This record gives sequence, C-alpha cells and structure tokens, in this order.
Amino acid sequence: MNQLFLSVDSFFIWFYRLSGYAPFDFFVGTFFLALVAVVIGEFSISFAFLLTRKSIQHVQDQMVNYQNLSIDALALGDKESYKAANKLANDAFGKTFFMQIGLSSARIWPAFLVVAWMNTRFYEVDFEVPFIGGTIGFIPIFILLYVAAYFAFKPIRNRISYFKKVNKILDSYKEKTRNMKSLADLAQKKKKL
Amino acid sequence: MNKRLWLFLGIAVAVAFVANAVFSEPVFAGKLEDAIAKTPKGTGVGMIDPQAPPGFMGIPGAPHSFLLWYILWGVWVGWIFSSVGAFGGIMAGVGHITVFGLADYGKTFKDTNPTLNKLLTDSIRVCNQYLVGLSALISSITYWRMGRLVMPLALCLAGGGVLGAYLIPVLTAGKVNLSSYIGYFGIVVFAVAGVLFYETTPAGQASRKSAKAAAKAFEDANIHKKAGGATTGKEGVQVKSWGFSKIIFTFYGVEFSFNPIWPILGGFVIAAISAFIGVGGGFLYVPFLTSVVGLPMFIVAGTSALAVLVSMITSIFTYMFVKSVPIDFTLIGSELIGIFIGSLLGPVTSKYIPEVWLKRLFVVLALYVGIGYTTKGFLGYSVLPGM
Repeated sequence: MNQLFLSVDSFFIWFYRLSGYAPFDFFVGTFFLALVAVVIGEFSISFAFLLTRKSIQHVQDQMVNYQNLSIDALALGDKESYKAANKLANDAFGKTFFMQIGLSSARIWPAFLVVAWMNTRFYEVDFEVPFIGGTIGFIPIFILLYVAAYFAFKPIRNRISYFKKVNKILDSYKEKTRNMKSLADLAQKKKKL
Repeated sequence: MNKRLWLFLGIAVAVAFVANAVFSEPVFAGKLEDAIAKTPKGTGVGMIDPQAPPGFMGIPGAPHSFLLWYILWGVWVGWIFSSVGAFGGIMAGVGHITVFGLADYGKTFKDTNPTLNKLLTDSIRVCNQYLVGLSALISSITYWRMGRLVMPLALCLAGGGVLGAYLIPVLTAGKVNLSSYIGYFGIVVFAVAGVLFYETTPAGQASRKSAKAAAKAFEDANIHKKAGGATTGKEGVQVKSWGFSKIIFTFYGVEFSFNPIWPILGGFVIAAISAFIGVGGGFLYVPFLTSVVGLPMFIVAGTSALAVLVSMITSIFTYMFVKSVPIDFTLIGSELIGIFIGSLLGPVTSKYIPEVWLKRLFVVLALYVGIGYTTKGFLGYSVLPGM
C-alpha cells in the first residue's frame, strides 16, 4: 500500500467497522468517504475560484460582449460582422473553458484519491446487481454515493458563511451569463415582432 | 443545474450504458493479476520480481514516482491548459508515456508477455481519456448554458461517435503494442503542432486582427441602436431545401448549408481516432465541421463538445467495464491536484508572457515530441534524446 494511503488507512477503515454487518458498513463507510471527498472538493474549488476570479471575470466579460455582438450582427443580417464577432467570442470561450478545467479538477481530485484508497481495500469485492443479474465492482457504488453525498452537503454548504460569500460572487457571474444573448433569445424576439 | 441540463446529461450517460449493455461481453475479473501471473518471475528485463515494491497499478517493480512528481507534472499540464489550451491534454499523455517511464517499462514485456505490454498500452489510453472526458463534460455544460448546443445535430454526431468509440476499444483493446501506440500518438502531436503553428503565423494573427477590426466596426456602427431591435425583416429559421446530400437553411436571412451524412461519418471517424489514441478529439471536430462540413461556428462549438462527451463516456466504459482495462486512480487523482494548482498559475504568468510567444514555444515542443514519438514508434528508436 502507498505510504499516503497507509497513513490514512486506519482512519478510513474505521468508517467500515461501525456495525459489524459488512454490507451495511460498506455502504455507510463509502458514503462517509464520499462526503469527505465532496467537502474537501468544495473548499478546494472555492479557494481556486477566489484566487482566479479577476481573470475569470475579465475573460467572461469579453466572451459575453462578443457573443452579444455576434447575435446583434445576426439579427441585422450582417454575416461578416457575425463571423468576426463569433470568432472572437469562441476564442474567449476557449480561455474560460480551459480555466474551468483547472477549477473542476480542484473539485474532483479528492474523489479520485478516495477511489485509489478503496482500490487497495475493495478491489476484489463484487456486488450482485438486483433484477438484472451480473456483478459490479465498488466504483459504480462509489459514484452513486458521491452524487448522494453532493446533494446531502448542498443545503449545509449554503448555510456556511464562507460559502455564502463565494455564492454571492458566483451569483453575480450568473447574472452576467444570463445577460448573454443566445440564438433562442433572438428567435423569441422575432416571434414577438 | 436546471432540469434540461440533467436531462441532457442523463441522455449522454444512458446512450453510453445502452451501447455497452447491448454489445457487452462478460467481464474478465482479475485481468491484470492474470497477466502478472503469466509473466516470467525474476529480476531480469521483461520479468516481474514479486518481492519488488508495487508501482504503477500495483504491479511489483513497475515505475513508481513519488506522488509529488505526479502533482508537479499536473502543475505543468494545468499551467498549459490555462495559458495555451488544448496542448495540455497532449502533455498529460507525454507524462504517462515518457516522464513516468510507463512506455519503456511496458516495452520490456514485448517478448516475455505481450498481453501485459498491451494491457499497459490500454491503461495509458484510458488514463489520458479520464482527463479529457472531464474537460468535455465541463465544455458541454457551459455550451448548454450558452444556448449554443443544437441537439439533433449533436445526436447525429454522437450516433457516429458512439459506434466509433465502442468499436475501437472492442477491436483494439489488448491488441495494440506500445510501440505502435507511441508512433500514432506522435502523428497526433504533429496535427496539434500544425494548428498551434497556424495560430502564430502572420495569416493566423491577421485573421484574428481582422476579426477584431470587423467586430469593432460593427459595434461602433450599431452602438447607439437598440441591440437586436433592428432586423432585416426576414423570417427566422427557414429550411430552403433538404435532401440526403445537402441541407440548406437560413437563420434570419443568413444562409448556411451542410451535408447531413458528414456529421455522422465525421463523428464515427473522429471518435475512433480519439478512442485509439486516448485523446478528446475536440481539436479535430472543430476544424472538420467548420472547414469540411461548412457549418456555422455557433453550431460547431457546442455540438462537438457533446459529441466528445458522449464518445468519451462510451470509450471509458467500454475500456473499463467491457474490456476490463485497469487504471491507476492514484496517478489520476495526484495529477488532478497538480492541474488545479497549475491552472491558478496560468492567469498570473499570462500577464508577463505574450500568448503568441507561449504558442511558439509549444510549437517547438510539439515538434520535438512529435518527431521523438513517431520515430520511436515506427523505427524502434527515437532520433531525439529524452523520448
């Protein structure tokens, strides 16, 4: 076992010995670990976001501006201006896209490390799939419990003042994205005319 | 996330599951253990020493780097993602193949246990795809929010993509040796180098400058008008003519046309190449759909992202659950920590280094890697050191 996993093994495995009934303990233990992964991931992504928000804001402003310009050009039937603005909008989008990759890795790295630890303990454990038959390993179960843990933590997250502050900033971005015109908006305007 | 987004993600996952459920064969548990057991035991080349400390995927004696090295390589990849873009995915692959020594290690089993050699090839492909699949997921969600995703065309692309992403793992898993894989990877690096190079040429720079000028001129001319208020008076989306070979439509008077067979064929071919190499294919979809098919950019960007996502899910599921290819989660998790840190550095350094110079630097690096891998893969040795 990796040195890192050895150091956390006794702590992690404690969650799997709560009741003494192995199947129940497996689900409870995996849920707790998934929850730990979600919580660390949320702190990690919020930290990354706070550090890079100025850059994100700058590129996002560019993207929204050129996207809106391209839609305006399209509305006026100006194909050349549409193409030009759209190219620049896509360039700006490319930048925000790769920034988001970095931010998203901040959210999910704990999950991969938890799975890596589980792999050392539960690699050979299989579960029968009810009704369908066959067996599945621990990974699909972890994914399901990770999603459950995410939604379980969501209401708690919204009550923590640190996350409230981050949410406020995020909401301001969402407002800007909402101001970004899409083709669907254009179609709706046309219907009204 | 709204309900439509969940629906769209659900469809993407369901397509991948159905494809696997329909075609899947029994999973061969313990494939890695079987391969290890059949490898000659000892300390010589192409042998496994059971007493050696476990390395990559827990194989005794396999290369094993201190976690910090995985993280540091991830920092490099993350920095490239946030400063140059797509080349980060290539660099992730270079890390798995060269920096962590997996290719050289895998090649030692070429004669003693070809099965293990090919299993390591497949594992490297899936490790690359995990990082790419993540980016495709993020991209699809963002395009969906932007209203730039046209579902029928995306499904057309994804339909071909699912087939390509399913068939390649099924047909090639366990059959591609590391040398061939590295050679083909080198060719893809050349393609990326070509795109990066074009962006640094006067023509590539001029097209961006002229786009900026055109956008500025339009903005100045229309700045006082109510945006979107004045129109040509022409109707919305109008299909002028359609058939098996060509569909022509106008969007508020602007005419676009495409051949519907191309998205299906393109989806198939690009997904097949991506699954074979272990890359996303986004860098292939965009020029293909804009230049070959001639679709407008607003359709291309969103639909290609969804096509990449669906084919990635299919490919990863097929490799992992149909062909039982093992992966090293510690490696991926550690790299993700590094990518997260590196992506924080990109915006800082971009203030001091012009983007065009960064791209020029990576063109040189891409040519080096491309030449090194292509010669190593197809000639058996790299003409450049360090590869």
